[in-house]
Amino acid sequence: MTHLSINALTKRYPGEEKPAIDSLSLEVESGKLVALLGPSGCGKTTTMKMIAGLLEPTSGDILFDNQSILNIAPEKRGAVMVFQNYLLFPYMTIAQNVGYGLKMRKVDQATIDRRVGEMLELVKLPSLGDRRPKELSGGQQQRVALARALIVQPNLLLLDEPLSNLDAHLRFEMRDLIREIQQEMGITTLFVTHDQEEAAVLSDKIALILDGTLQQYDPPMGFYESPKSRAIADFFGGVNFVTGTQDKGRFTSDLGAWSAPRGIEAGSGLATIRPEDIEICEAPGENVVSGNIVSHVYVGTHSRLKVDVGAHQFHVVADAGIIKTYGTGSTVMLHLPAEKIWVLPHAKD
Amino acid sequence: MKWERIRIAVMLAPTLLVISILFFGSLLYGFLQSLGYNPNIGATDINFDAYLRVMFSEEFSGRFWSGLTLSLWVAFCSTFVSAAIAIFVALLLRRTFFGKKLAVFFFQLNLPIPHLVIAVGMIMLFSQSGLVSRMLGELGLVTSPRDFPALTKDAYGIGIILAYIWKEVAFFGIIVLAILQSLGEDYEAVAQSLGANRWQRFRTVTLPLIMPGLMSASIIVFAFTFGSYEVPRILGVGYPKMLPVMSLDFFLNPDLNARAEGMALSMIIAFIVLVLIFIYMYITARTVRKD
Ligand SMILES: Nc1ncnc2c1ncn2[C@@H]1O[C@H](COP(=O)(O)OP(=O)(O)OP(=O)(O)O)[C@@H](O)[C@H]1O
Ligand SMILES: [Mg+2]
Repeated sequence: MTHLSINALTKRYPGEEKPAIDSLSLEVESGKLVALLGPSGCGKTTTMKMIAGLLEPTSGDILFDNQSILNIAPEKRGAVMVFQNYLLFPYMTIAQNVGYGLKMRKVDQATIDRRVGEMLELVKLPSLGDRRPKELSGGQQQRVALARALIVQPNLLLLDEPLSNLDAHLRFEMRDLIREIQQEMGITTLFVTHDQEEAAVLSDKIALILDGTLQQYDPPMGFYESPKSRAIADFFGGVNFVTGTQDKGRFTSDLGAWSAPRGIEAGSGLATIRPEDIEICEAPGENVVSGNIVSHVYVGTHSRLKVDVGAHQFHVVADAGIIKTYGTGSTVMLHLPAEKIWVLPHAKD
Repeated sequence: MKWERIRIAVMLAPTLLVISILFFGSLLYGFLQSLGYNPNIGATDINFDAYLRVMFSEEFSGRFWSGLTLSLWVAFCSTFVSAAIAIFVALLLRRTFFGKKLAVFFFQLNLPIPHLVIAVGMIMLFSQSGLVSRMLGELGLVTSPRDFPALTKDAYGIGIILAYIWKEVAFFGIIVLAILQSLGEDYEAVAQSLGANRWQRFRTVTLPLIMPGLMSASIIVFAFTFGSYEVPRILGVGYPKMLPVMSLDFFLNPDLNARAEGMALSMIIAFIVLVLIFIYMYITARTVRKD
């Protein structure tokens, strides 16, 4: 198990003005799974390649267990990268693909055969060793790629969007499998994704990168309950924002004064609350606003409402059956629980 | 769908017909001549005498077998060495570096130059009275032209091989470079991250990936160097002669009876080349089925 430290890591591609990744610092504790989350082009693959040694950093340092590894050849780092497009060697069988890393380490064939069998068992593909990569589905190929990486018992597992080429059903299955194996083997793992839900479900901590810089590094809940900026809240599907003034746990806006103890102490602020934290209630009271339902979508397990409150619109996730009580156009009272409101700093314009 | 196929067949038919007549017609005519059938000189018997004479008669067999050996040797060396050099150069040219475009341009410059020009160039540069020899003489490194190694007109076909390498490295290089660039470097990156060192990556990843393309290019080059005559004609010696040059001698012989031997020899060359192509198709079919 390896503790990964990244110090002020920067990569500027030749001829590019803006760095692809700018002064990234990150600590990944040993045995943890951390998601590198961010939109396309934010520098996730670039970061992974630098850790694996496939790309030279412009500046900064990468340490495994407090030892800089920048001068260690990529093939000796033990940081194995699994690519988005699997990249199984087409001219080898599945078993040869999985055994590749051991073969390169000159392990004897009997051991290789045994370990390949174990690995294929682990990724739940026990009987496919003699096939060629072409004869496998995308999900199966991805599992073979995973087995090929795990067989060398890497210090660090780098998964670059391992799920993005799979359909929804396979994605869930793979997600669980990865989590299961990662916890069983206790390998420190960095996992790239641009899907916030995937990141939340899978990881111990999420590093959100927007535009080449690290925005927030926290356990998943932090991004939902206390995002550090509006951009972060936006990325995690935050939609309800109200500007106002914060003072001693009371937030005052054109919708009145609410109890809101979390967030900034005082000053101009932006209050946000997640759609699923808003409760529909029957009577007025503290932190209750009233509005009109303007739209209503039934999603099976729940309903999504849009409610106009004064000049604002709130998105609310409610029980699936709510439509029986409240139809479009009806008036509804919304309770915004004080402990669910998060007040961000907000520059007055 | 069916109509589309018929339409394509009909459109291609005239071209195919002309090509077939020219190709199979001349092949058939040549084959008949090699069997001794030549009504112009009143020879209408059909037999394999010319083949036997070329291969086994006291008059020709020495020349034939030494020529065949030389031809195989030259074709093999030219193909193998140029492929090896081309892989090396293509691996260098694949990287991005300052002046890459220019380097690739110079590398490709050899492609349109005729073989004949290269052969003559070889004479001017590397023969015992050539430019290099004379420059070394001026520098006092060789005292007489005889001291300079016989790189052209030598019994081992070194000059011929060098000329072919000069030319075919560019051909191989373009093909290998195109394959490498279309593959990208990710497969090698995967191998490296799994612990493969530089040599292991080359042997277990790069080489197998370029192999199918390399094989087809190799067969083309082998067949070409085996069957063409202009370079060995200029750079070769009187004995042994590569088979195509020997065949040409038969045709240039004013005695029309030598025609049959010339044709028999050409048929043998064509046959060997055909066998090679079949071997090649067998190999590619197998590799294609594999991946
Ligand atoms: N070889 C390169 N040369 C120049 N710029 C590059 C190179 N590779 C990537 N970039 C740029 O660097 C930025 C980050 O690229 P990177 O591949 O790391 O993004 P990513 O976060 O992995 O995106 P995605 O989710 O689409 O895979 C992008 O703007 C990209 O255009
Ligand atoms: Mg990427």
